[in-house]
Amino acid sequence: MYQLTDVTKLYSKGRRTVPAVRDLTLTIGDGEWLAVQGRTGHGKSTLLNLLGGLDRPTSGSIEFDGKNLAKLRENQVNRVRATSIGFIFQTFNLVSTLSAAENVEAALIPLRVHAAERHRRVAAALESVGLADRSRHLPGEMSGGQQQRVAIARALVKEPKVLLADEPTGNLDEDTRDEIITLLARLWRERGLTLVLVTHDTAIAQLAQRVGVMSKGHLTVHGGASQPTATGARQSAGTDAQQLGDPDPAQPVTPGSMQSAASDTRTD
Amino acid sequence: MFFITYLRRELRRRMRQAIFIALGLALGIGLVVTVTAASAGVRKAQSDVLKSLYGVGTDVTVTGAAPRSFRPGSAPPKGAQQFMLGPGGAQVCQNGKCHSAAGMTIDHLSPQNYGPISQSNVAAVAALKDVKAAVGGLTLTDDGVKIPKNFGKPGSGSAPPQPNSFNVDGVDTSHLSMGPLSAGTIASGRSLTSADANSNVAVVDSGYAKTHKLKAGKKVSIAGHSFTVVGIVTQPQSGAPPDMYIPLDRAQALGTNPRTGKSLRNEVNTIYVTAASASDISVVQSEISKLLPHATVTTAASLASQVTGSASSAAKLANDLGKWLSILVLIAAFAVASLLTMAAVARRVREFGTLKALGWRSSRIIAQVIGESVAIGIVGGAVGVALGIAGAKIIDAVAPNLTASIATGTGQRVQTAGGGGGAQSFTPNVTHTVAVPMSVSVTAGVIVVAVLLAIAGGLLAGSFGGWRIARLRPADALARVA
Repeated sequence: MYQLTDVTKLYSKGRRTVPAVRDLTLTIGDGEWLAVQGRTGHGKSTLLNLLGGLDRPTSGSIEFDGKNLAKLRENQVNRVRATSIGFIFQTFNLVSTLSAAENVEAALIPLRVHAAERHRRVAAALESVGLADRSRHLPGEMSGGQQQRVAIARALVKEPKVLLADEPTGNLDEDTRDEIITLLARLWRERGLTLVLVTHDTAIAQLAQRVGVMSKGHLTVHGGASQPTATGARQSAGTDAQQLGDPDPAQPVTPGSMQSAASDTRTD
Repeated sequence: MFFITYLRRELRRRMRQAIFIALGLALGIGLVVTVTAASAGVRKAQSDVLKSLYGVGTDVTVTGAAPRSFRPGSAPPKGAQQFMLGPGGAQVCQNGKCHSAAGMTIDHLSPQNYGPISQSNVAAVAALKDVKAAVGGLTLTDDGVKIPKNFGKPGSGSAPPQPNSFNVDGVDTSHLSMGPLSAGTIASGRSLTSADANSNVAVVDSGYAKTHKLKAGKKVSIAGHSFTVVGIVTQPQSGAPPDMYIPLDRAQALGTNPRTGKSLRNEVNTIYVTAASASDISVVQSEISKLLPHATVTTAASLASQVTGSASSAAKLANDLGKWLSILVLIAAFAVASLLTMAAVARRVREFGTLKALGWRSSRIIAQVIGESVAIGIVGGAVGVALGIAGAKIIDAVAPNLTASIATGTGQRVQTAGGGGGAQSFTPNVTHTVAVPMSVSVTAGVIVVAVLLAIAGGLLAGSFGGWRIARLRPADALARVA
């Protein structure tokens, strides 16, 4: 899915140049769930932006399905984002004036999907996150958890290959956090998504097949599953992915199970 | 349609700001509409004044040089007739020979404002390269007075005679589409025709006809000759049109040159000229000035600049203050709309960053923002047009009649009897003052311009917002507010 080679991203801060990501080489396989942890300001969000084509590396290459995102023209990167990459943000980033259904529909606009098909897919996406009855509600009329479900529906309605989640539970209470992570885990398993999830929460990170830790722009990856897919992880018991906490589809993630998985390595 | 839904929701969210921007644009556009309508009304009034003076289709008017005034006490020119009061009573003198004027009726038809131009010059002007047509005319005044028998004799106690004057235009009946009769509408009877060239027939102005109870079929006396009234004509404005129109040949035959006492055969004192095209008018003016160096050559534009009075003041007010006020308000409205749109874009940076993350192209987002601005502009334009029409109606309702005054010649000479027995002369006021009803109306063209201005305002404001969006990098947009 992804092949990052010697990726460096530098930012200018006045006269100083600050490296956000340094010499990063990483492979993310199809259907893999990679969690990225690290302290604030150490490059987690920059890495996610680079993977999503929202930013370009200063040097190195980011190959996505054989295409180097660093070299594509802006409209080509837009196209990749529109068709293949879904984003979930910590602050949900819903358009406050649009209803839940319209927010989800916004993701289909760049794909020029016919209106009737758009409405069908929007309804199905909201159904899949359990918000079929809230389609006409504005973001301000919904709880944080519901808003994040809408954001997840928006990310998934175009049936992307990759889901990039930046602190998706950062603004939620514990119960809602578990609810959202359970939902994400289910969708990851059912849809064979590649999931890259940035989180401060070690309990959540440990549910992933691999955990990477960003520190001063360097990424250190723990765990051995470089190629397993979500489907594969489900089917082959005893893989690294399961050892790293791949949730059992028959057994939803609960606050208790997540707390038991949490360790003292929380990084924030 | 998602575009409309998004646009509607966004405008509803910032309704107060949208109303504020729309009202600003409405004010500017309303002013433009009102001022433009008022200007058009004033211009039309001015145009009507000029038409009433020179008729339609005339681009250039050539008039003979004004006759020089007598100096009081100076010898009259050879052949000129003088009316004098002496110890023996009223006398008429010509070339030094005087006879009693007691009981006489003196009736002269003579040019008073303009000197004569040889009729051959009409053909010469018509032959000029950039001239489409030229037609001659005679602008004359009929002065008639009946002298009482004992008038001027000591102790007679006779009241001074009351002169009866009216204006007569000699009209070329073979070219009736030009000249002063062309602007009029026949109210009854008929107009002159080419068959009338040598007939004693007259068309009378409706105002004069009403005052003197004339109608078609009645007789009038011009230069002591009986003329049949064949029609009554109404000119566009009720100012000072000629009182009567007679065939040019008859005017030339009956008119006399007061300086020489001779008839005006083969002479005209006004030439009405149509240029080949509007752009040729100044060239034509220059060509005629070379051909007839002593004549006065007037264009509609130069005549318009001579118009004074409240119509002229209103035109200046509309053109100067009104135009600049409209432009200033429009600029202010556009600036406020642009600034508020940019502020709105700044507040929506995260929203636009998110849309870019969803794969929206910058052009699609810019189109959305411009669409919002243009929608506000169209609402502002619609309200502005309504305000403008209301303003025009108010002006129409409360504006008094404008007056337009225009000097039509100099040196008109009238001699009158002086109490001391000597001849006196004076130059009367030769200014035509016309009451012009100001009709302010909003044309479709003005509305189209207003709507285009509103859309331009929206596009301008939206473009500033769009420029900001185009420069927005999605990662920065998401990071700045996250």
